[in-house]
Amino acid sequence: MRIRGSLWIATAALIAAAGARADGAAPPGRTIAYVVTNLSWALESTPEMTECPHGLNDGVREQFKLLFPESAGNKRTLVDTQLRRQVESYQPTTAPDTLPFLEGEGPVAPGVDLDDVAGPEDFTSPDGARGIDNQMHRVLGCIANYRAPDGPIRFFEDEMVLRENYNRIIVQLVGVDSLADDPDVDVMFFRGRDKVLVDAGGLKALPGGTQRIDTRWGGRYIRRTRGRIDKGVLTTEPVDLLYPWDAFYMPTDQYMWGARLQLKLTPEGAEGLIAGYTDVETWYMHMLRNWSAHYQSYGRSSGPSIYKAMRRLADGIPDPVTGANRAISSALAAKFTEVRVLPFSGAEVAAIAEAKPGVPYRGMPAPRPAAEELAETRGSPPRTTNGSVPGNP
Amino acid sequence: MTSPVRGKRLAACLALTAVPLAVSAAPSALTEPYIPETMPPGFRVEASELDGPVFADAQGRTLYRWPFRTMRNGVTGDGKGESNCADTASTESAGLMSPYPGGLVLPEVEKRPSCQAMWPPAFAKDGDKAVGKWSVVTRRDGRRQWAYDGSVLYTSVRDRRPGDVLAGDSYRHEGDAPAMRDPIQPKPDVPPGFGVTTTLRGRLLHTARGFSVYAFDRDTRARSACDSACEQVFVPMQAPATANAHGDWSIFTRASGERQWMFRGRPLYRHEGDDRVHSLEGSDVPGWRNVYTQETAPPPAEFTVQDTPSGQVLADKRGRTIYSYTCGDDAPDQLSCERPDDTQVYRLGMCGGGSAERCERNFPYVEAVREAGGSGRLWSVVEIDPTTGHFAAKDQPGALRVWAYRERPVYTFAGDQQPGEVNADGLGDFQAEREGFRAFWWRDDFFRE
Repeated sequence: MRIRGSLWIATAALIAAAGARADGAAPPGRTIAYVVTNLSWALESTPEMTECPHGLNDGVREQFKLLFPESAGNKRTLVDTQLRRQVESYQPTTAPDTLPFLEGEGPVAPGVDLDDVAGPEDFTSPDGARGIDNQMHRVLGCIANYRAPDGPIRFFEDEMVLRENYNRIIVQLVGVDSLADDPDVDVMFFRGRDKVLVDAGGLKALPGGTQRIDTRWGGRYIRRTRGRIDKGVLTTEPVDLLYPWDAFYMPTDQYMWGARLQLKLTPEGAEGLIAGYTDVETWYMHMLRNWSAHYQSYGRSSGPSIYKAMRRLADGIPDPVTGANRAISSALAAKFTEVRVLPFSGAEVAAIAEAKPGVPYRGMPAPRPAAEELAETRGSPPRTTNGSVPGNP
Repeated sequence: MTSPVRGKRLAACLALTAVPLAVSAAPSALTEPYIPETMPPGFRVEASELDGPVFADAQGRTLYRWPFRTMRNGVTGDGKGESNCADTASTESAGLMSPYPGGLVLPEVEKRPSCQAMWPPAFAKDGDKAVGKWSVVTRRDGRRQWAYDGSVLYTSVRDRRPGDVLAGDSYRHEGDAPAMRDPIQPKPDVPPGFGVTTTLRGRLLHTARGFSVYAFDRDTRARSACDSACEQVFVPMQAPATANAHGDWSIFTRASGERQWMFRGRPLYRHEGDDRVHSLEGSDVPGWRNVYTQETAPPPAEFTVQDTPSGQVLADKRGRTIYSYTCGDDAPDQLSCERPDDTQVYRLGMCGGGSAERCERNFPYVEAVREAGGSGRLWSVVEIDPTTGHFAAKDQPGALRVWAYRERPVYTFAGDQQPGEVNADGLGDFQAEREGFRAFWWRDDFFRE
């Protein structure tokens, strides 16, 4: 098709205008907002599985067979087998795992240097940055459920971000002089109330949709921080962040201590990492509530083994009483699409001012003592499917 | 898109946070109209508080069916014209759910009742004959059993009074729930284009597609106060030219000439802003309310309602979310394990790793004040032995007087630190559809009714 001269000129002008915005012009009203459309734990997942030299972990089903093998003349009871494993899942302890656990290995893993230290446990990012703090990769990196590109839990959790209004996380930047460079922008997190504008296929988010702020149900998600834009990359100051992330219609949240954004911005969207220290008890309760043993079996994960590994590898936010770390370094791979947030009403402004940030879940008030689990598992010698493996003390 | 009433609605919403429940002694006396059917001699229809009209036998006992249901690894329930409810107790798990195998010896197997002990078949007498949708089926043991629409029928040992549906589970039929028994019911008497659904608050009237129907406080009989601007938000429920008034249903003609349905003298509307079925959002607009064919008795007066990130939950007087416990074991007969007179092994494992003391610290019962008593049939005060989780014996020392919903105790979760937290909602097997704790949702704007 031939494009007539005047249309050429108009088209070229539009392209130039868009380019100018991306290259440095201020967004309209010096404000731009993005809605999260994709979210998954940032892990190194190579096709060759170089980060998992011993293979992938066993899940609930495989562990059950290892722990409670069928044998002639030995009638298994539900209490001693199924219920015992369910108790270990619902009432997890830090007792050492009697089963092998395969950690994700280095040297490469995505993430951010959260502590400005390049320690021996740190990784190197795929683009060469050193000192990357992402112990979550060690926990989830060799579990099929969470690996890219199509681990079942990874897939569903990512898909639900777009599908469910509950997960409508919005980041709004105010006082933006340029999307390319601005040393100081105001960054606000809140939840939207509306579906995301998508294309005819229903799976691709489109920029330009509208969103209303959710101050009625979502007050606990409202947070503010500051950030800077350098060469089109937004980097924010750390802020403790409760964020909604349900999987299958269960109102569950995650909590990240010291969360910071590292996002490449364009007028149409943003992409990058949300990094910080993920609260372990909140993460585990989120997993239990969304993913029963059946779903864990889809991609061979095991609640008790994950909990023990996560507590063992937790590297941040020491509990003031026990000294044990409550959180684990982590990063989320995130994609955003630009949205237009409707102007806040007076009532909404007041609600924002009064909003109290949500808090992390603190774990079972009366936890099961590790010694009780140890006593129960004594006499059940570790069995392996993968030979002798590292990663489990 | 924004609604013209957005500002007012928001103000109303904000005022609703953490409201105490209104005190009411009993449910509304109005019961749901239904379409009469021919029944076997002596059989009747009883009004149940939760499910509306239910069929009952000549003694007034609610009749249930056990629909065939596909589970993760097989099927169970009754096929048409046959009963799979045995008179011998199951001893091993069936492996109908995933990922655990079948063939495991069930807990407290020596005390486990048979299916028929819990669900006595509705036997037919000699000479009883089929009538209407009712038929008589000859069982494998040669006895004759009533069936409705092909499904064989049972009563429940849990029900004691006419109109009880204490054993029924129709409210909680969800994806991976056990194969439950439903009370059988006559059809609600609603015009074409309307439907009714059981909710915690009552039997919600909605359109045939499930969208809620509303009434306006300022309307009077046959006069609508909803003007043309209002109609853009609350759309009158049109009655076709061929529709006729009957029973609780009537029709009036609006100034525009449009015929509008009325229920019990109240003009009906749908809310343009509702984008999900069974919504309560229209009732956020001052003066507007959802319509119920019958309402349940309110929860205990000492309870509160708290806002959560997903809607509203019932909570205790301190604002702590209230939870119910769900349990159906993985045996062929899918018997309940959620009541205090069922085995407590599953619940104690879930909430305390087998320890009743830890269980009570993690998921404490909601104790009732001394003078408290239930209103209606659904909420009651029961006495529990906290060391076992079973009902306490009469005058048993140390027994707790606790609130119960349909005779199942309710709990709070000590892991909820602030009002409106629902940290234990869905904790259990299959998001607690199969076994575990679920928050008591009073209103959910995101996932459920």
